[in-house]
Amino acid sequence: MGLLTNILLAPFLGPVWGARWSLDKIDRVVKEELTDDTPVKEDLMALQMKLEMGEIDDAEYVREEAAIMQRLREVRDWREKLGMSIGGGPVRVAGSEESE
Amino acid sequence: MTAAESVSAASEPFGEGKYVYCIIRNDRSREFGEIGIGGASRVYTVNHNDLAAVVSDTPIVIYDPTRENVLAHEFVNETVMREFTLIPMSFGTVFRSEKDVLALLKSTYQAFTDVLDKMQDKIEFGLKILWDRDKVVAAIERENDEIRRLKDEITRNAASSTYFARMQLGRLVEAAMEEASNRYVTDVHEQLKEVSAASRSNKVIGDRMILNAAFLVDRKDEKQFDEKVKAISLQYEDLLTFKYTGPWPPYNFVNIKLKLEKAT
Repeated sequence: MGLLTNILLAPFLGPVWGARWSLDKIDRVVKEELTDDTPVKEDLMALQMKLEMGEIDDAEYVREEAAIMQRLREVRDWREKLGMSIGGGPVRVAGSEESE
Repeated sequence: MTAAESVSAASEPFGEGKYVYCIIRNDRSREFGEIGIGGASRVYTVNHNDLAAVVSDTPIVIYDPTRENVLAHEFVNETVMREFTLIPMSFGTVFRSEKDVLALLKSTYQAFTDVLDKMQDKIEFGLKILWDRDKVVAAIERENDEIRRLKDEITRNAASSTYFARMQLGRLVEAAMEEASNRYVTDVHEQLKEVSAASRSNKVIGDRMILNAAFLVDRKDEKQFDEKVKAISLQYEDLLTFKYTGPWPPYNFVNIKLKLEKAT
């Protein structure tokens, strides 16, 4: 969303955005968006809240939850591809020897 | 194989990985029943000196934070919390083996001990406050003379009232609402201060929420805290909706940065 917003608003943000416009920047922004699960988690919390407030029913919750889980998995896949750490999955104390 | 694929373990139904729920102080092993994540696996402790990790066996998988999984994680912590002060682990923390769990207890022994001392007999409560915009606007119009006058004027001269008068009204209402929101939140914090040990405000969720806070409370003050929250919600019952949850483990007040890395 953020990248799209920036592109759509680019003419208005011209001076600031334009001055820093570079392939590096695009690359970084895209990477940040693909690998940041914060907005997905916020959506999950908002969904939870809707259920608690009785704005949606169980069936709808389950449906939307599935879509959010899919987005989380996509973020995780990108993080793995880009060699970044992922939440979840097996961990061990950093620097400890290999477990057998 | 990617970590997301589940491991088939014919001989061991739940796998040899360890899902860690929390850390407690206990110098002997304990069983907490078959209430673990991923299909009611046995929940037990891995011990090192007087510290214990509460775990269940699991295949090496990534657990999605679905409601079912989160509730399972939470239910174990609730069960443990009835008897112990605990340090909650983040959702989805899986170690490859018991040896790796022991390495965590050994390497983080001092930090865990310090935090357990600090959290001794402390519990957390969540308080979310939502408002009903229409009701708050109505209350503001009742209380704020300037807004009421401007609104009356616009209503009386519906046809001729200018765009700018409406803009002006909108701005005044917005500012008054922000001021009201701050006033409510400050008042709630003030009133709960004396019955809590600490508080933390988190980011609000959605556009109706004005407070999303966690309070750390001494077990002995639980009843007083409870009564205070009820009294405040009565005080504001016409304007605000209170979402009061707990007791929780002190999720918002424990901040140990574990030096964990991906186990391959």
